[in-house]
Amino acid sequence: MAIMSKEYYADIESVYKKPEDYELAGKGNAYIRIDAEAKVTGSAVYTDDVDLPGMYYCKLVHSPYAHALIKSIDFSEALKLPGVKGVLTGADFPEGHNLGNPEAFKELADKEPLCRKKVRMVGDEVAAVCATTEEIATQAAALVKVEYEVLEPVLDPFYSMQPDAPAIHYPGTSNLSIFTTMKAGDPDKVFAEADYTDKHYYRTQQMVHAAIEPHGAVAKYENNEWTVWTTTQGAYVSRYWIAWGLGVPESQVRVIKPMLGGGFGGKLDVFAHELCPCKFAQMTGHPVKCILKRDEVFMCTRTRHPISFEIESAFTKEGKLLAKRCKHILDGGAYGGSGIAANTLSLICATFPYKVENIDMTARRPYTNHPASGAMRGYSACQVHFAHEIHMDEVANALGIDPLELRRMNEITPYYTGPTGLEFTSCKFDECMVAVADYIDWKHRDRYPIGSGQGVGLSGSGFMSGTGFPVLVTPHYCSSSTIVRLNREGYAVVFSGANDIGQGCDTVMTMIVAEELGLRMDEVKLVQSDTTATPWDAGSFGSRVTFLGGNACRRAVGDAKFKLLSHWAEEWGCKPQDITMKDHRVFIKGDPEKNISYNEACFGYEEKNFGRCVAGVGSFAHEGDKDIYVKNVGNYATAYSFSASAAKVTVDMETGAVTLDDFAFGHDCGRPLNIRAVEGQIEGSVLLGFGFTCYEECVYDKDGKHLNPSFRDYHFPTALDMPKIKTFVCSEYDPEGPMGAKEAGEGSTAPVGSAIGNAINYATGLTLKELPITPEKLWRALREHEKTGKTVFGAEDLPEKFANMPPLPARD
Amino acid sequence: MKKIIHFTLNGEPVEALAPVNMTMVDFLRKEMHLTGTKRGCEEGECGACTILLDGRAVPSCIMLAMEADGHEITTIEGVKKNGVLHPVQQEFMDKWALQCGFCTPGMIMSALSLLNENPNPTEEEIRDGIAGNLCRCTGYVKIVEAIDCAAKKLAKAKEAEA
Ligand code: FES
Ligand code: FES
Repeated sequence: MAIMSKEYYADIESVYKKPEDYELAGKGNAYIRIDAEAKVTGSAVYTDDVDLPGMYYCKLVHSPYAHALIKSIDFSEALKLPGVKGVLTGADFPEGHNLGNPEAFKELADKEPLCRKKVRMVGDEVAAVCATTEEIATQAAALVKVEYEVLEPVLDPFYSMQPDAPAIHYPGTSNLSIFTTMKAGDPDKVFAEADYTDKHYYRTQQMVHAAIEPHGAVAKYENNEWTVWTTTQGAYVSRYWIAWGLGVPESQVRVIKPMLGGGFGGKLDVFAHELCPCKFAQMTGHPVKCILKRDEVFMCTRTRHPISFEIESAFTKEGKLLAKRCKHILDGGAYGGSGIAANTLSLICATFPYKVENIDMTARRPYTNHPASGAMRGYSACQVHFAHEIHMDEVANALGIDPLELRRMNEITPYYTGPTGLEFTSCKFDECMVAVADYIDWKHRDRYPIGSGQGVGLSGSGFMSGTGFPVLVTPHYCSSSTIVRLNREGYAVVFSGANDIGQGCDTVMTMIVAEELGLRMDEVKLVQSDTTATPWDAGSFGSRVTFLGGNACRRAVGDAKFKLLSHWAEEWGCKPQDITMKDHRVFIKGDPEKNISYNEACFGYEEKNFGRCVAGVGSFAHEGDKDIYVKNVGNYATAYSFSASAAKVTVDMETGAVTLDDFAFGHDCGRPLNIRAVEGQIEGSVLLGFGFTCYEECVYDKDGKHLNPSFRDYHFPTALDMPKIKTFVCSEYDPEGPMGAKEAGEGSTAPVGSAIGNAINYATGLTLKELPITPEKLWRALREHEKTGKTVFGAEDLPEKFANMPPLPARD
Repeated sequence: MKKIIHFTLNGEPVEALAPVNMTMVDFLRKEMHLTGTKRGCEEGECGACTILLDGRAVPSCIMLAMEADGHEITTIEGVKKNGVLHPVQQEFMDKWALQCGFCTPGMIMSALSLLNENPNPTEEEIRDGIAGNLCRCTGYVKIVEAIDCAAKKLAKAKEAEA
């Protein structure tokens, strides 16, 4: 999509520093993270570290049932406990002010701050208590008696869609929270005529974000205004939903995001633990804190959508991908919230990184009584690229084509436009693929005979860079905005709405301003993520922060710079573009006269303008239509990143244990703004992908009770499990990205699982179609293979389930 | 019920009244107002609450404040001395060995404990030394690198001293 705002910002962009003059951007060791010292000394303040005088504590009361009606709530015992200061139920919040998505998907505003009549998952919040200490609050919560009428839990997403399934939210809707289609070309004709067609099934499991910092919030109420410190990925989005949930104007709520101990998508939604402290703060006049315990984080926040896949493909016998049909069934869990985008994203991701002109794809997201699924790093991409890339190897084997060659034959090339209007810009996918294949010595993969217990695997993926659309909708314009003020005392202040959730965007914003103004990093002061102090930002999700936030920040500093340089251009009789800002000086190159300090430059501007300071504002938004969430026509993001992975594994054929011996990752993130930061994102992504593939799964009993809500029973890789990771940054300056950058946080998770999966399949000679590939599952498969010769395992129930799905409802 | 305990906290003698059933992490955070020690799971599984008890790393969430009585406790706040960062801290900064930073205090305490016992660890020993500290952000690569570099720096400094 053409960036219409380009023209609007043309003057500003004309004074941007040229890439050849960059002193910080792209220079890995030129600077360190601005929050590093606070983090290594323990002085960094996270939400749980906010400690206010007279603070009370809030504890939530959760449903033990997956699906039930609330008959009565009895607080009498709890209230007898000394130190208890108040209690809340759903009736204390304004009716109809549910959390979720207003506007675009009203029906998905489905989460009551506290459940009024019905609970839809184990852990659903039904009441809250407030007390003088955390211990008393915990005791009091245990004394609240709730009477329930238990309903049949709906745990299978396929059953959920059947006409006889109990309604989780709205009767007569097949329990569908959303469904999406994506069509192009004439797939039926192509399938009828193609040399090769197939149909395969895959399934991914439910996993959680498992940020080490639990969710929590602190609220205070003063002067008719709430101040909320909360573990959010989007301060402004949280403010909208907190105000809405309380039924008060947004002007009366201030949200501050302190340091965040990891988000990964799990801290995008708004929760009871944010609204209840607000209510209690107003009721008691004291600040109130509510920090979730680990089991509450597991059960009551968000998870990654489990997806069941039916994939059909059509190829020529030479290996050209002609058409794809697929059906994705996403287990949405109990609520919508940030989960709406999952559907569309699952389809969009299925159309790359390979060119496919004929498609017929649908995704349905039925509600179930599992915990609510939501956004998670590599949103939908991890699951989709697992299934579709395992599939790619199956096709290669069936056609007798080298899996690397099959991928390269079909890969997306720079500036390709997809059949539904996805507009790709820079693309270094081929370089990524080749780099990782060379590293793992793909050519000589025969050195490990198939089924020998050792093997290598490859995979590729793509992801949106700078998602233009909100995953949690508010009525606001979905932009990133920044204000920059130049100070004549020799520094600049950046007011950035971007939300650093640990990935380091505070450092990126600071660096961009320092780079443009020729200041040192410590001469740029950052004010961040505070709805009163900083301008609007839609939040950290969809790999948008560096891209949109970075562009916004650059436009803001560009605006200030343009004003400053225009002033001096007039004084010096030149063009603003002739003036350089570097090393704290403002000058015309080679002219010893026209060379003043940054301070003097700012002062001169102020003097001429009656004391007005030099300030700039900037904003960046992707110009598109959020109808894309159902219609899937048009472009989704301003740019796309591409990745490839190669894994070498050893499988213990006796025990089924998998060791990841070596891992290579090629990432096309545009021009990397900081190579250490990019590597860090990739290395973390490999951990997430490895956990997804071989370790992590939320397990439920038949009543929907979570059986492993603790790090004791839910494992992800430790330092001992992780391999060395070789990173290849296959970069190319992206014309739309800030200083040429794209994204490096989410796309980098997408190909990890399938590379490991393909390597395990190679090493064992089996085809495993379901995650996670735990030692136990693998051991069982190996034993059965020995006995019966069976080679394909997992997702065996899916053909029948897909065949028996009810038709899609009509779209009104 | 509360009891008086005596212990050394970051080099200073402390006399404090502590609830008998309070965990050390809560005692440090709520009573001593040292919030650098984090609560990640409160069941001894994540290592975010790691402190040094007589120089050895322990998770403070499964230890009672009472158990500190008579011992030497070091928290992340006591690692920087006289305004100078410890080489482990410095290396974590220089190597970008942190992202969200929530695991960082615990990681650093485990690293210090490891280097106390084994000043020249191999990569495998470093990985083993931090195996009780979960990090969801970094994949551990740069953490291992930072600890390795810090160990080498410390060894060099020692050599120079000798
Ligand atoms: S908080 Fe102590 S080990 Fe997790
Ligand atoms: S840096 Fe985030 S958990 Fe380690």
